[in-house]
Amino acid sequence: MRSLLDRMFLDPFQRLADQSAHIVPVLVMVLVTLIIGGFVAFVLRWLTYRLLQLARFDHLVQRTGFASMIERTGVFRSPSDLGARFVQAVVWVLVALFALNATDTPASIEMVRRFVDYIPNLLAAGLVLLLGVVVSRMVSRSALLAAVNAQWPAARLIAGGVRVLVMTLAVVIALEQLHVGSLPLLVAFAIVFAGIVFALALAFGLGARDMARQWLEAKVRSSVAEEEVFRHL
Amino acid sequence: MDELFPNELRTRLDQIGEADIVVGIPSYNNARTIGHVVSAVSVGLAKFFPTRRSVIVNSDGGSKDQTKEVVLKTETGADDLLLVSHPIQVSHRISTPYHGLPGKGSAFRTIFAVAKQLKAKACVVVDSDLRSITPGWIELLAQPVLEYEYDYIAPYYHRHKYDGTITNGIIYPMTRTLYGKSVRQPIGGEFGFSGKLAARYLEKDVWDTDVARFGIDIWMTVTAIAEGFRVGQAYLGAKLHDAKDPGSDLTSMFRQVVGSFFSLMESYDGVWKNVRTCEAVPMFGFPFEVGVEPLTVNTDRMIHAAQQGVTDLREIYSSFLSPPTLVDLTNFVHRNGQGFHIPDQLWVRMIYEAAAAYHHRLLDRDHLLQSLVPLYLGRTASFVLEVTESTAPQVEERIEQLCQVFESEKSYLAQHWDTIGKEKFHAQPA
Repeated sequence: MRSLLDRMFLDPFQRLADQSAHIVPVLVMVLVTLIIGGFVAFVLRWLTYRLLQLARFDHLVQRTGFASMIERTGVFRSPSDLGARFVQAVVWVLVALFALNATDTPASIEMVRRFVDYIPNLLAAGLVLLLGVVVSRMVSRSALLAAVNAQWPAARLIAGGVRVLVMTLAVVIALEQLHVGSLPLLVAFAIVFAGIVFALALAFGLGARDMARQWLEAKVRSSVAEEEVFRHL
Repeated sequence: MDELFPNELRTRLDQIGEADIVVGIPSYNNARTIGHVVSAVSVGLAKFFPTRRSVIVNSDGGSKDQTKEVVLKTETGADDLLLVSHPIQVSHRISTPYHGLPGKGSAFRTIFAVAKQLKAKACVVVDSDLRSITPGWIELLAQPVLEYEYDYIAPYYHRHKYDGTITNGIIYPMTRTLYGKSVRQPIGGEFGFSGKLAARYLEKDVWDTDVARFGIDIWMTVTAIAEGFRVGQAYLGAKLHDAKDPGSDLTSMFRQVVGSFFSLMESYDGVWKNVRTCEAVPMFGFPFEVGVEPLTVNTDRMIHAAQQGVTDLREIYSSFLSPPTLVDLTNFVHRNGQGFHIPDQLWVRMIYEAAAAYHHRLLDRDHLLQSLVPLYLGRTASFVLEVTESTAPQVEERIEQLCQVFESEKSYLAQHWDTIGKEKFHAQPA
């Protein structure tokens, strides 16, 4: 009788108690890790923000023109805020990895391993995006200056187009690094870009044939006139 | 220096040995005009320096139009009509390709090297597309060096009032303000200089910069003045070029000349900051009135370029112009027709702020220089509109006024030059 009661009631409780004795400390440790990690992340965010403020990071970014873009997102108050939150996010990811590792289950270990293996891809994608931003800015500024000095009326449109083109290429390469399907984006971009070029060619060559001729004639005439005007030196 | 001399040139120089005068002519596809220049130089050497050993060096950028053949085959011509006495020394002629970046500066480098190799006492350089060169130019450019121990002779020409606007609007006023010598044509293109100065030029490591291109003229002038060489000027009359100047794209020309000047400001900031006064530079030759070719200028096109620049490049300008300057610029530039005007003070401050921004690298230097082109065109249009009815002396007086504004604002430049960081820079009152 006793044996039956034991089997029916006490053994499950005993097993639960045994499992709990194994799980609860792990859960407590995970919880403590998350709490301490969250606190550390918060402190590091605050410190980073202060350091960036002291280093006048906002002013530096303002010169590049990205400050207004960051503020326009409505998510970040300033470039320093973005930097501080980025540090916080990185710390949170590390804490989460640490906590996951602490659970010591096959699934969590596998997840951590996969994530660690993925870090180089993340870094490469980040680097590509960063380079894309810098290069697109430089190239679009060069295009803008060249177009303005050639007195093309749509100079800003050209510069904007160049920037979008370079950034799209950077995004496609970054997605490739992340093993996220970039083909649809690339195809969509190619279709849209080819469409724009084709439409412009048709509009200029057929729709505005006379205007095209006049424009080309004016260009040739003005370049000849330019040579005959005067010496700048 | 060995890399500057191809085998053929080295052999030729060994045969010649030494020379008193080297006349350099840089060229690139100038077959149509270089014959006249070679002829004038040859007559000049024979007529004015019959007892001096001389060499004419054509430093060519790979011409495909028989330039070399024209140089070597051009006959002096009309010797009997021009010469009082027959030359005792034969003038040698060399045509050689130059080494390095394509451009006038690289061509000059080879000429300097030849002058050094031949231990020349005087060296003269003249453009290959000149139509107004006479034998007398060689005398005027070389004699002060040979006879009066001058190291550098800059040209002095009569030019059309609309001609040479980079010279009149930026380079001349700034050269005299910063370095204290009133050299009227610091980027004239024709110069005389001593062998000592040619050797000094060769010591400099600038041949991978814009100095190798159009920056060479201002670099030679500023180096000579800033390093204390004895500087003079020679009155050459009028300067008439061939109508077509190959490769003279305004943006790159402006960038190379103004960029070289700003770069020299960094090299010699210890010199120009201590200059307080401006002194006249001795003039050789007899000044006389000459007729100049009429020029037409399309001011509407220039005004449009300035207006478009101020609209489209606002973000770039705001990164190096102070807010008051940018406000003034916007206000003045958007007036059309006869109301369009860029005042001297605004122009001077823009140039000084750009120079300081170049020094502090507030933005990419190439972009900074390119962004100045629309402002320069606007200022040129403003100047042309202002002097439409003026005579040549009145225009010269007007340029003198501009120079005085450059001089009076020099402290503004020094202040910004020494200010570290954009915030301090922009906090200055207008």
